[in-house]
Amino acid sequence: MAPVKCSHVKEHLSKWLTWPLVGLALIPLGGCGEEFRLFYPKGPVAAAQLKYTMIDVGIMLLIILPTTLMLCLFIWRYGKARKAAYDPDWAHSMTIELLIWGGPIAIVALLAVFTYESVIETNPYDPTVLRAPAGTQVPAQAPLEIDVITTDWQWFFIYPKQHIATIDDLVVPQGRVVRLRMTSTSVTNDFFIPQLAPMIDVMPGMQTRDAFSSDGPGTFTGFSADFSGAGFSWMQFSTRVMSGDGFSSWVAGVQAGQAQPNRGALSYAVFQKLAHPTLNIGAKPGYFASVDTGVFNRAVTDALNGLTYPVPADLTEKMAPDSGPSNQRRSSENGKGS
Amino acid sequence: MPVHLQGPWSFLFGRLTLHAIPYDNVIILFAFTLAAVAGIAIVLPVLYFKKIPYLWREWITTVDHKKIGVMYIIVGLVMMFRGFFDGLMIRTQQVLADGPHSPHFLDASHGYIPPYHFDQIYSSHGTIMILFAVTPILTGLTNVIVPLQVGARDMAFPYMNALSLWLTAMGAALVMVSLFVGDFSDAGWSGLIPLTELPFSPGVGVDYWVWSIQISSIGTTLNAVNMIATIVMMRAPGMTWFRLPVFTWTTLSTNIIGLTAFPVLGVALAMLSCDRYIGTHFFTAGLGGNLMLYTNLFWIWGHPEVYFLVLPAFGIFSEIIPAFSHRPLFGYTTMVAATFAIAGIAWLVWLHHFFTMGAGPGVNTFFSVATMLVGVPTGVKVFNWVFTMYRGRLTFETPMLWCLGGLFMLLAGGLTGMMLAMPAIDYTVHNSVFVVAHFHCMVLLIAYAIFGAVIFWFPKVFGMQLDERSGKLFFWTFSTGSILVFVAMFALGFMGETRRLDYLYDPHMLPLLIIQEIGIGFYGLSVLIFAWMLFVSLRNRNTSLESDPWGTSRTLEWLTRTPVPFYNFAVTPQINARDELDWRRRSGLDLSHPDRFAPIHMPGNTMIPILIGICSFGLGFGMIWRIWWMAGGGLLAIIALVIFRSFQHTPGYMLQPGEIAAMERRTAASGIIAEQPSRPPLMEAGAH
Repeated sequence: MAPVKCSHVKEHLSKWLTWPLVGLALIPLGGCGEEFRLFYPKGPVAAAQLKYTMIDVGIMLLIILPTTLMLCLFIWRYGKARKAAYDPDWAHSMTIELLIWGGPIAIVALLAVFTYESVIETNPYDPTVLRAPAGTQVPAQAPLEIDVITTDWQWFFIYPKQHIATIDDLVVPQGRVVRLRMTSTSVTNDFFIPQLAPMIDVMPGMQTRDAFSSDGPGTFTGFSADFSGAGFSWMQFSTRVMSGDGFSSWVAGVQAGQAQPNRGALSYAVFQKLAHPTLNIGAKPGYFASVDTGVFNRAVTDALNGLTYPVPADLTEKMAPDSGPSNQRRSSENGKGS
Repeated sequence: MPVHLQGPWSFLFGRLTLHAIPYDNVIILFAFTLAAVAGIAIVLPVLYFKKIPYLWREWITTVDHKKIGVMYIIVGLVMMFRGFFDGLMIRTQQVLADGPHSPHFLDASHGYIPPYHFDQIYSSHGTIMILFAVTPILTGLTNVIVPLQVGARDMAFPYMNALSLWLTAMGAALVMVSLFVGDFSDAGWSGLIPLTELPFSPGVGVDYWVWSIQISSIGTTLNAVNMIATIVMMRAPGMTWFRLPVFTWTTLSTNIIGLTAFPVLGVALAMLSCDRYIGTHFFTAGLGGNLMLYTNLFWIWGHPEVYFLVLPAFGIFSEIIPAFSHRPLFGYTTMVAATFAIAGIAWLVWLHHFFTMGAGPGVNTFFSVATMLVGVPTGVKVFNWVFTMYRGRLTFETPMLWCLGGLFMLLAGGLTGMMLAMPAIDYTVHNSVFVVAHFHCMVLLIAYAIFGAVIFWFPKVFGMQLDERSGKLFFWTFSTGSILVFVAMFALGFMGETRRLDYLYDPHMLPLLIIQEIGIGFYGLSVLIFAWMLFVSLRNRNTSLESDPWGTSRTLEWLTRTPVPFYNFAVTPQINARDELDWRRRSGLDLSHPDRFAPIHMPGNTMIPILIGICSFGLGFGMIWRIWWMAGGGLLAIIALVIFRSFQHTPGYMLQPGEIAAMERRTAASGIIAEQPSRPPLMEAGAH
């Protein structure tokens, strides 16, 4: 809220706006760091999103700023005590009314153009910002395919070409396009890596897609953004971007069972055991040295056929005493699919 | 039992066991004590001063639109206080549970509330604030003001009006009961699907959520019918369409939205109930169900609902700003057109609530541009208010302060709303607290309008003005709280903090969370100041007020006596101009009151609405706990009452000219609200 200026309210103003102004001043002071993740994109998709944020705000300020100024000016100018010009009857002006309809329409028309552009550029099924610029002769590396399955309340990342899988740990090579295929065995989640990948829903019985690539190595937070139940706050995963060679040796390590904790082979039967509601406090990773093909497809098909992993009432109503800091990981007893 | 339920069930008590009463939870014990003390503080004086017959006659069985409106507002304010408390608990939990080394108290592993309890708190915060605080308060305001603004004796269907109130109140009562008996939903105010399905929400929480909304939204739908009929049919002679005050216009458009949108919600909830009670698969992921069907249905109601709330707020701005600018509203016709444009576009934008579902570019672009189009008429409205102030004589009484504050909220909410309308931006903040801050700006602007309206129209109903000094203090503390909480929340959105987290992973968020906590402290302070304002105003009350205590009001409701008598106008007024009171003031007619009276036909009291309300509470409670005999009994009783009512002849009674003259004199002299004479109703039908 911008300050209201008027002789009548001035003394109240100075008294009661001090605090918020101090608060407002604190925000940019604290706001220089990379914890403002959306301002520090690390990949082309996130960068495009930031670009359109700036464009949108810029265009909107063209109309919001003058309006705010005019509002403040009129509040100040036409306060009764200032004895400015007073017109008790004037209530219509064709010119002004045309302007106040025309202005917003022009702004929206302009925004609509950018909207269409932005939708195409960041389309999660095929973001054009990830395409190699036309005419470049760089040999395009095939995108890295990863299948994402969410359970209550963990992330499974399956690398079908590499035949490995992880829990709550997404490792990708730098610069290479990553294409995700996502589904859920339980409720709806939302895949999100603020500095890399757009928020896209992950839904049971359905497949959605997301895609991103990264500018350089680093570790970035990713998490579920759509509330999914009691374990939701811990549904995080780290996104580790490695160099191409680093990625290859990481894959080899996982295949050799060196990544700890190594959970062995991920067959669909093993997956089904792990898919029961599990509260992973601390979002601890796990690794699978091999993966059966078709786990993702069977997860989708089974969800369509009505398989659910019910949440036991004791994991919701009375989870408090059982989920203290000492009890870091707790699997439920086998709920029966309905 | 057609579905598999976890836990015990018995014929007599359904799923209800002693275990359902959380007597061992410190927080709920505290809430219960608070509620019990407040309850006793209200009930004891009523018993001591033997006011039960008065309450029964003048309030509980009344069909007077003003008293019904006041009761709506009281229900809304009580629920708003509860919602505020939820907000306070959410903020305190987040500031305590930031980072892996955060402290833990009570049962929680982080902060002081375990996840399951926290999830209920934010779900009830949203449900309460939107459906049981803001909606009833606005319905109450339109109930009080609109019949007066169009020059009607009462609503078109006074009996149905009382029924709407009691259905809404019983929905609110169910939400309150869920605090002490069982749990409330933990699946968000929007009922995230398929989380609300039985396998994922095995308790009674979602059932509480479904039935409280289902019952109260029937009340809201009936009220919409009533309001439309009143505005279309009950206008005083001379009140042509283009002389209608803008608040009445916005009420009309809002209730057209309400009438068409609320049934969609009812259907969606009924289908969800079928899934939960008889094992159908409308919204499940498998067996032919489609969860996105629920999401679409919910937001086909949910987005129009936003405009259902915001349009009356715009109407309030359009009444208060001219009154304290001492000028007519700029661009009346444009304002009406913009109102209906917003109401129309409201139906075309629901998909922007789930841009992230992964729809293709065509769908997303359509709904994005449609959403942005809402900005056009909204922008027009802002400009109209700004130009209303141009060359005015602005005075800054409390209602005007609230409106101006609301305008700044609208500018902030509008700017961020246009950001969210673009899918590429939405992909970064869709489920983040940035969205939460945005829609709080919009709902706060409605709250600002509500506070302005309550203070503005308070003298008309109660015959006394609220204290200006404490009112201004209230405004500034509330605004300070709003700025601290929501500016920090926007910033947290850029950090990537998502919604509904009982534990935050990033310790860098702590400074901003502390700012929010200070802000919510200011809100708490403002609640105290609000209570103080009521107390001071009562202590220093001046009850001999003119018809128009502000001196600059413009519309018809200010023409009749203050406080407005139960028959509204002693003589139905003849309307001469758009701003009737302003026209009469200029013609030197504003202080003249009629001295010759004709008999007035008034509706009689009825106790059927409150009985139906109580039965619907029984129906809801029985369904929630699956106590089938109670639910069935409630339903049968409602049907019996409706049949009984249809055979009742209720022609009301006639007020005689002598009585009217006496009451007019008394109101003018003492400023006491006239009470209805007790007298047997007319027994012959067709007196009207």
